[in-house]
Formats: sequence, structure tokens, C-alpha cells
Amino acid sequence: MRLLEVKHLFKEFGGVVANSDISLEVEEGMTMGLIGPNGAGKTTLFNCIAGYYRPTRGKILFDGKDITGWPSHQVARIGIARTFQGMKTLPNMTVEENVMVGAFCRTKNREVARGEAQEIMELLNLREKAQSLPTELPIAIQRRIELARALATKPKLLMLDEIAAGLNPLEIKEILQTIKRIKEERRLTLFLIEHVMEFIMTISETVIVMAAGRKIAEGPPEKVAREPKVIEAYLGEKYAKG
Amino acid sequence: MGRLLKDIFSFEDRPRFERIGFLIFILIVLVFPWIIKSAYGRAVMIKFLLFALFGLGWNLIGGYGGQVDLGQAKNVGFGAYATGLMMLWWNVPFWVTVPVGMIIAAAESFGVAYPMFRLKGHYFAIATLCVALVWKELFVFWDWTGGARGVEIPIRPTPNFTYMQFGSPIYYHYFIFFLFMTQLLFMNWFRKSKLGYECQAVRDNEDVAASLGINVYRTKVIAYTITGGLGGVGGSFMTVYYLYIDPDFVMPLDLSILIAMTVMVGGAGSIWGPVIGAALLIPLDMYLGAWLGAQKRLGIDFMIYAVIMMFIAAREPKGIWGIIERMRKKRA
Ligand SMILES: Nc1ncnc2c1ncn2[C@@H]1O[C@H](COP(=O)(O)OP(=O)(O)O)[C@@H](O)[C@H]1O
Ligand SMILES: [Mg+2]
Repeated sequence: MRLLEVKHLFKEFGGVVANSDISLEVEEGMTMGLIGPNGAGKTTLFNCIAGYYRPTRGKILFDGKDITGWPSHQVARIGIARTFQGMKTLPNMTVEENVMVGAFCRTKNREVARGEAQEIMELLNLREKAQSLPTELPIAIQRRIELARALATKPKLLMLDEIAAGLNPLEIKEILQTIKRIKEERRLTLFLIEHVMEFIMTISETVIVMAAGRKIAEGPPEKVAREPKVIEAYLGEKYAKG
Repeated sequence: MGRLLKDIFSFEDRPRFERIGFLIFILIVLVFPWIIKSAYGRAVMIKFLLFALFGLGWNLIGGYGGQVDLGQAKNVGFGAYATGLMMLWWNVPFWVTVPVGMIIAAAESFGVAYPMFRLKGHYFAIATLCVALVWKELFVFWDWTGGARGVEIPIRPTPNFTYMQFGSPIYYHYFIFFLFMTQLLFMNWFRKSKLGYECQAVRDNEDVAASLGINVYRTKVIAYTITGGLGGVGGSFMTVYYLYIDPDFVMPLDLSILIAMTVMVGGAGSIWGPVIGAALLIPLDMYLGAWLGAQKRLGIDFMIYAVIMMFIAAREPKGIWGIIERMRKKRA
């Protein structure tokens, strides 16, 4: 079944065309990867889907429903959860409260929300940190808090924006396994942005490559990685960085 | 129902030292008028409880909601005038005027919240300040509210509970303590409610809150509306306690700022913050103000507040309660 469908999506900021004619489909239960050099428009695309931005043109369908232009909170309630690039925590609330806020998306009852939060914290190995403030904890744990909070909203589709950025190789391995595990246990559909190629290649069934606001390739990771256009886009970035 | 009662009355989730402190506080307030016989001392205590009451309500939008509201005095005014005018015109019992005042304050807050929350941060704060000033000027201007002369409440021949008029300040002491406790218990429910969590999430990060299914705008409007209603209660009390109200007394800018300041000094967003802030600032205000006034050094007290305020804003955004919590964490 098709869970998410984006049709001819454009997003412009003044003169900058951050997304240009993007179309894609995400099947239920799959893991879709989205890669591309910095400034390619990946986060913008996520923001359009999540209702953070209103697309300039185009359509977004979720579960067959047209959700184009819906505000973020409604998109969350219909079953799309997302994390933010560079992390955004609720700094004055404990880890448990952070996760409970997510759980309140589906219930009015505090005990139900707390129960749900505890279950998810167990799943993500956060139980010992329940009463800490997120800002006191290392980045790797803060990423798991973001993950937990998003999961608590009981999404069908989970969108992660560079969840592994800034982590060391061991932590990357850990979070990769965690993501695989929660995907199984919660029967999720995943849509991931990752700047690090190695990460996305091992987890995604299909990869979309973006460059300069456009979709330039789509397919299985091994195949996409060999496409000249993709190599060129990444090489270009390496040279640009000097 | 059982759960609701538990959420209102239970402080079980708070650490032991807080519960013991709260109990000691209640005991002190209960015996206070039997130990302190001076009229001034008793008046200070009543004013402290009144401002703690104001602070509790303001804490909902200003502390938990993180929206700096500098116009709470307008809601105090709505409560005060609802009680004053209804008593003057129709002899309505006090306990009927309180909910009416609350509803008027809440309704007005709801009405202005709608456009006001298009603004954020400092712009929002300035908008709240302006709205409160406009209302105050209207109450000065209008004839039907008594204009600048205000409203005088007729003295009843016999003290009674219908109009809450008493011969002894001891009655007012327990009366304001009762109002304070009801609002404290309401806030105790609020901080555990879904709305309470949503307000805090909105305060901490609006983008995150929205991404978790929270309608940020709606949450702010609701929080601001409730805070408006809560502000009316203390206003109603002022009318029957002072027996005289006018716009300069019940709706001035100073009052809005003092309410916000007590909470910020005590600890915004914590249940005890408003109580601690009022316990510090109100006696300071009354004793220092009286002393400086006697020395003909008017205005110095405001300078002292400004310094406290700047210190809090720069060094300790979580106020005195923030310091207490940090010390406790260090020891643990
Ligand atoms: N809010 C915004 N206002 C203006 N320009 C923006 C905004 N968000 C993104 N952009 C621009 O859109 C382009 C794509 O950015 P982004 O989606 O963040 O790329 P990526 O996530 O692939 O690194 C960039 O040129 C960026 O400067
Ligand atoms: Mg990005």
C-alpha cells in the first residue's frame, strides 16, 4: 500500500527554489532514504511534508488523504512524526516529560501517557535517564530522546532528519540498530535523511538523491551509488569544500 | 472522578521536603493572626496571600506557558468592578459576583488573545501591556463605572458572609487564605493535566510542540483565557477587603508588573514560585515602601525592584526556586 505520495512539489523562498518538481512515493513498511549534498533541499522537503512549510505548488497525499498545507499539529495527529535536524529538545522538561508530551498526542489521561512513555523509554534504553533534563545528557542520548518523543505520538510514518549527524562511529552503529529494532516492533514506515552515505546505504531499501533542489536519482542503494550523476553531485561538494 | 480528586489534592509526586515545607507553611498561615496582633503585620500577611493568589494565576500563562503577560491588572480590575458594581446596583451576594467577574475576565481575555497571539515574545508582552492600559483609561473615562472616582461599597450594618464584610481582619485573613488554597489546588491539577504539559512544551519549543500534535495557537489562547479568569478572583477580594476601588488602584501598570515580577523572582513555571516570590517581595514592598516614604525617598523602592528584576533575568531565569532546586541536585 502507498502510504506517502508527493506530486510535483515546489518550494520557493523568494528567489531560491529549494524544491523543484519533486515527486516520490513511499510504500507502507519500507525504509526510504534521502541523500544529497548540503543545501540540496532535503530538509525543506521534510518540512513541507510535515506541515512546517506550505509548499509553493504540488500535492502531498498521506494514506490517500490530501494533506497539502495542513498545519504541523494536524500532520502529527494523522500519523506522521518527525525529528528536527540539529535537534530540538524541550529543555526545561525531564526526559520522561519530553516523551509524555508526545504520548499526549493520543490520550488525555496522564497515567496512560506515562505508561506509554515508560514503555518507549524502555525500548530506547532511556529508563535510567527518565528524571534528567535532556540538556544535561550527551548528544547520542539526546538523539534517542527525540526518537522516543516522536515514537510516542504513535506514527505510521517516521521521518528522521540527520539523526546520526555528529555521532561517533560506535554511536552511529548503535542508533542504526535502535532504528531497525523500533521499526520492527512498532511496524513503522521510515523516511530518513542522512548526509553520511554509509549510514543510509545499510538501512534503506530505496534511496532518493537530491541536488540543487531537484531529484536526480532513485533506486536501490548499490545502484544509485554508482550513477555518474550522483557521484558528480557528491564530488562537486568535495571540491567546493576544498 | 477519583482520579480528578487525586490530581487536585495530591502532592505525592513532589519530593518529601516540599510536602513538609508546604505543611509548615499552611500551619504558619493558620496560626498567624493569633500570634501577630499588629494591624500592620496582619495587613502585610493578607497582601502577601493576595499577591501569591495573583501569582498563581499568572504563572499559568507566564510560567508554564512562557508568555510574558504584562497586563494581568486588567483582569484584576474586571473582577473588582464586577463585584463592586453588582453589589452597588443590585445587592448581589459576593459569591455570585466572583464567577461573573471571572467569566467577564476570561471572555475578554479570549477575545483579545485571538489577535494578540499573532505576536510573539516582546511584541506580545507590549501588546498585553497596551490592552491593559486601554481598559484602565476606559474605566477612568466611563461614567457608569464611577469614572476616576471609582466605586465605594456601602458598609453593611452587620458583618456577614453574603457580602463578605467583617469587623475583624482575622476573617479576611482566612477568607483570602481560602481563595489562595483553591487556586493553588487548581494549579496543582493544572500542572499534571494534558493542558499543563502542552503549555510547557509550547514554552520550551513551539516547533517541537507542533510536531507532537499540539495546536500551539489554541493552547496559548486557552492558557491566556484561564489566566484571565483566575485574575478576577483576587480583584473581587480587593473590593470587599478595601471597600473602595478605582482604576488607579485595581488596574494600574504597577500592579501588572508586580504580579509578573513576584512569579519571576520566586520561580516561573513551578508550583511554589509565586508563593516564594510574594513572600519575599510583598513584605519588602510594604516595609521598605513605608520606611522610604517616611524618609521622603520615594522611588528608591522601584529602583531596588529594577535591580532585582535585572539580576533575575540575567543570572537566574528560574528564580529563587531554580536556586533551591539546583542546590538540592548538587547535594543528591
Ligand atoms: N526558511 C528558509 N528561508 C530561506 N531559504 C531557505 C529556508 N529554508 C531553506 N532555505 C534554502 O533552501 C535551500 C535548501 O536547504 P535545505 O532544505 O536545508 O537543504 P538540505 O537539508 O538538503 O541541506 C538552501 O539554499 C537554503 O538556504
Ligand atoms: Mg538539512
